[in-house]
Amino acid sequence: MARTMAAANSGGMPGRPKAEFLRSVREALGREEGPPDHRYHRLEEDLPLLEERAAELDARLRQNRPQILDQFTEMAAKGGWNVHRVTGAEAAIGQIDSIIAEVGGTRIVRSGQPVFEDVPVDTALEWRGINVTPVVRDESASREQLREEMRQADVGLTGTDYALAETGSLVILPRQRLSRLVSLVPPVHVALVRPEEVLETLHDLFLLRRLEYKQRDGEMGSYLNFITGPSRTADIEMTIVQGVHGPRAVHMILVE
Amino acid sequence: MPEVKTGQFSRASASAMLDPQLRRALDRVGSGFDVARRNAIAEVSEEVWEEWRDEARQIKIHTLDHLDYYLELLYDNVTAAGGQVHFASDAAEANAIVSHLAQSRGVKVATKSKSMVSEELELNPALESVGVDVYETDLGEYIIQLAGETPSHLVAPALHKSKEDVAELFADKLGVPYDDDIEVMAARARVALRDKFMEADLGISGANFVVAETGTLVIVTNEGNGRLCTSAPRMHIGITGMEKVIPSMQDLAIFLRLLPRSATGQRISSYVSMITGPRREDDEDGPEEFHLVLVDNGRSTMLRDPKLREALYCIRCGACLNICPVYQRVGGHAYGWVYPGPIGAVVSPMLTGLKEAKELPQASSLCGACREACPVKINIPRMLLELRHRTAESEDSSERASTASERFLARSYARLMKSPGRMRFAARMGRIAQRLLPGMPKSRGWIRRAPLPLLSRWTKARDLPELPPKSFRDIWRDELRPNAKNGENHGRR
Repeated sequence: MARTMAAANSGGMPGRPKAEFLRSVREALGREEGPPDHRYHRLEEDLPLLEERAAELDARLRQNRPQILDQFTEMAAKGGWNVHRVTGAEAAIGQIDSIIAEVGGTRIVRSGQPVFEDVPVDTALEWRGINVTPVVRDESASREQLREEMRQADVGLTGTDYALAETGSLVILPRQRLSRLVSLVPPVHVALVRPEEVLETLHDLFLLRRLEYKQRDGEMGSYLNFITGPSRTADIEMTIVQGVHGPRAVHMILVE
Repeated sequence: MPEVKTGQFSRASASAMLDPQLRRALDRVGSGFDVARRNAIAEVSEEVWEEWRDEARQIKIHTLDHLDYYLELLYDNVTAAGGQVHFASDAAEANAIVSHLAQSRGVKVATKSKSMVSEELELNPALESVGVDVYETDLGEYIIQLAGETPSHLVAPALHKSKEDVAELFADKLGVPYDDDIEVMAARARVALRDKFMEADLGISGANFVVAETGTLVIVTNEGNGRLCTSAPRMHIGITGMEKVIPSMQDLAIFLRLLPRSATGQRISSYVSMITGPRREDDEDGPEEFHLVLVDNGRSTMLRDPKLREALYCIRCGACLNICPVYQRVGGHAYGWVYPGPIGAVVSPMLTGLKEAKELPQASSLCGACREACPVKINIPRMLLELRHRTAESEDSSERASTASERFLARSYARLMKSPGRMRFAARMGRIAQRLLPGMPKSRGWIRRAPLPLLSRWTKARDLPELPPKSFRDIWRDELRPNAKNGENHGRR
């Protein structure tokens, strides 16, 4: 009955009209319409203030980078990543190669992130007879084809947008040419991280996200994902198992 | 709403306590989750942890006190990001919204990541009745769904099942040979569900938080099923209680520190997914439609009640369950509704009616462990006392938990305690009575079984302390007080 009544109110779509719903909340609170008397301080922060803080953050990161990178790799290892520190693109490719060899991978998918312009894995691995498919939608590949490619893949390769020392996490955003599924569907995920992508705390990350949101006039991007270690569950007898719906093994290569 | 069995707590808990398998499962909760939580707190130090809890609590107080404002801000920002917000006053409306969206888009298969609210709404049967196959994808929820049961813990829904139970269930329902190796079973669930993820036209998720400032839905998961549900299908519907809104994205820093540590002792979960609207044109993938359903379903009753409003601060971490001496003995199902444990004993009576759930506020020793464990410092014992008070004093006799004789006894006791003369007299009578009355087995100062009908109900589950030969007041007067009769004892005892 509630369904038919509500449906009649809003042109076919069931549910309570917004004004009515909010009125009932206000009535429960015994409160007048309008913003809080004491404004919430974080919502008062404007673009100049966030910019100033971001500049301070940048200076702090530059100054403390060696310690922050150490903390990051330590926390990442605690969080379940296999951490590799290498210097230069060549060493990074060598590391990727040995991980692929270790898991016996033959089919590799990778994102189209710019880091792969600096670290040209495709040609290097092709030379060894391993096929790397960039998951980038264009005329040559449909959504279905790419999905099938990902399901068949042994290893997914990505870069990252940020990394967090506090938690040992990677943070990926839906920048162009990054599929959400490359880091999720194949059983092994390998991520490349560059030192300048490493932030210190959760607060650092959200400050930068909010700054960008304001700079881009209220565009947040459709998603943001934290990845910390492998997929895991403890749902049967509280025994931890790795690799339920996501990868069972994850590798992080910090390329200095 | 699911069948309310909150009125059967006494019976259900009595049989639960005799179940050896449940005993083993519940032992793991204390030694697993709670120990991990304590270790995680020790790592950041008690002091820092206290600061985080205080900050989180302040944010919740402010948000809930101005909930209408933040819901409106959330609405504006979800809409600006290209999503749609729907409001549901009750379960019927919420289910109608989701069913309508599914039907109008021709959805045949839906995958779902864990959502306690959807349990509260009984969303799955509603969707199935309009021809949508719904697959729970969290391993615990998947097990529960196959078994046709309900969750017994906020974080680990299939906690009550042994690995042998799950192996038999999988053999029966998935047509695979019996194998109780946990890794094998997890792999089987992965295989069975992988096709569904790719087949599904609709992904349904709950929300741990929704951010008003940016219109962002946040889910905290470990398996990766939440990411698949919200990435692979063409439509994503997030469904959540309206109290989950927080003002600023910056607030997430504190809540993401508190929630995983309180729930499983992790510094952060494997995945935290933040979703703001549908996929943008430039994105490689993601759903084309994003809907957020905000559910009241009794929450405004709690909001209206200043003494119980703080129950809405709950972030569903389960820490109060893991530490509760009652939950640890009886498990989740005894509580008779969706939300178990100490917080459930407050929330269930509020959402389903005190009349049905009047036993639940009694399901506590008021030891205060839940309050200490709560990451947002919810004063659960205070609210349980408040509800007990209501079940004792309610005008409506169907809400009352006590009998007329119990109330008489309590009132007499109150009168007694207010007057030293009456108290002295009653104590003297009691001392005589406990010597003279027959049939009072005593041991080491405790009366095991009292004869009077009123007292015998009390001693059915508890022992009564024997009255000592001399009261403290008498000892004070005769021996301890300066210038007492036996004044030479002064200072020696």
